[in-house]
Amino acid sequence: MNDILLTNEPTIEKTAVLLIDIASALMSSGAHTMRIIQNVSRMAETFGYELDLSVFQMSIMMTIVSKKDPGKLLTQIRKIKPLHLNFSIVSDLSALSWDTYDKHLPFEEVTSNFEKIISKKRMKSWLVLLLVASANASFCGLFKGDLTAMTFVFFATFAGFFVRQEMMKKHINHLVVFTTSAFVASILAGMGYVIHLGHTPEIALASSVLFLIPGVPLINSILDILQGHILTGIARLVNATSLIVCIAIGLFTSMLILGIEKL
Amino acid sequence: MTTEMIRLVLIDGFLAAIAAIGFAVISNPPRNAIFVSAILAALGHSLRFFLIKSGFDISLATFVAATFIGLLSIFFARIIHCPAEVFSFPSLLPMIPGMFAYRSILSLIRFMQNTDVIKAQGFMLDFFHNGLTTLFILLALVVGVSLPILLFPKLSFSVTRKY
Repeated sequence: MNDILLTNEPTIEKTAVLLIDIASALMSSGAHTMRIIQNVSRMAETFGYELDLSVFQMSIMMTIVSKKDPGKLLTQIRKIKPLHLNFSIVSDLSALSWDTYDKHLPFEEVTSNFEKIISKKRMKSWLVLLLVASANASFCGLFKGDLTAMTFVFFATFAGFFVRQEMMKKHINHLVVFTTSAFVASILAGMGYVIHLGHTPEIALASSVLFLIPGVPLINSILDILQGHILTGIARLVNATSLIVCIAIGLFTSMLILGIEKL
Repeated sequence: MTTEMIRLVLIDGFLAAIAAIGFAVISNPPRNAIFVSAILAALGHSLRFFLIKSGFDISLATFVAATFIGLLSIFFARIIHCPAEVFSFPSLLPMIPGMFAYRSILSLIRFMQNTDVIKAQGFMLDFFHNGLTTLFILLALVVGVSLPILLFPKLSFSVTRKY
């Protein structure tokens, strides 16, 4: 008799595993806490469950309760993978949660759609490299750097971001990656100082490391704090600040080597 | 507004658009969101540039620009069916106070190294000036961009809904 019920309503174990997978995928792709809670609660409601969620920097804790039978409940904790920003996942999962809610998609279809979404390929890494390098060069232009400075920043960023991509592939510690690539980028951009090329070598040096600034985590942290998720927000802020300290250390090292006192 | 000013504002918007595209692709957004964030960044950043040139201070100008981006992003979110932050956050990235942020850390390092009291005081002043500027610009960015989201929560959380 139980089996007939199960055909249109997924079991509590299956639902819990899927929902916590979705929540942790959203968290490691860089969604803010409010969106994670809203998306996952919406899906839980469709499957006939109620859900409570707490999100931390390293793990997610979730309890789901059956609406029909409040005695039936399950609590789970799941580790979160290291942050690897991916807004396609955030956008697609948000759309999937509305589709589930509006069309009452069957559980199997939601699972297969979720797997399709998280296995989508990212943009080609060489294209990202080129775009980031030209972005940072034009950023140097925004700070009134001349064309020589912009060229220096282009090549410095190219090298720095390449180092970052390769080190990320080898899963080296985040802080080490940021320090090293800030050092590489700034020492190359500082070459304008050494060979006296262009009128604004100091702007080239100052803007060469800006591509590393963790902008999205900083915005997310303030947004979380404003929306009342203070612990998660502070965790994100500390994380972003430690990356900025690493960038400053990398920049400081190359300033020491090049003998530049003031920036 | 002189023609020279218009030229500077246009250049600023163009450079900001390229910067936004490059910083956006790090977070792998959907293709159509990249172009929207470039447009928003160009409009927002050139507005901020114009406001700073006409005498606003940087955090107030940032607040106005971010609110402008936030309002436009709700409008665009309904057109391309994608959560507003997916393209409004990348369009804020050229305005992130990165230089102020690491300068405050650098002046802390200098403060620690210096034994001369007068010089050390100068570095402490630099630290507070840069650090507080970073904090206020960040607050202005986030409050500005999320003001429309906080005012119309139903509207902005249901943009990916197709029915």
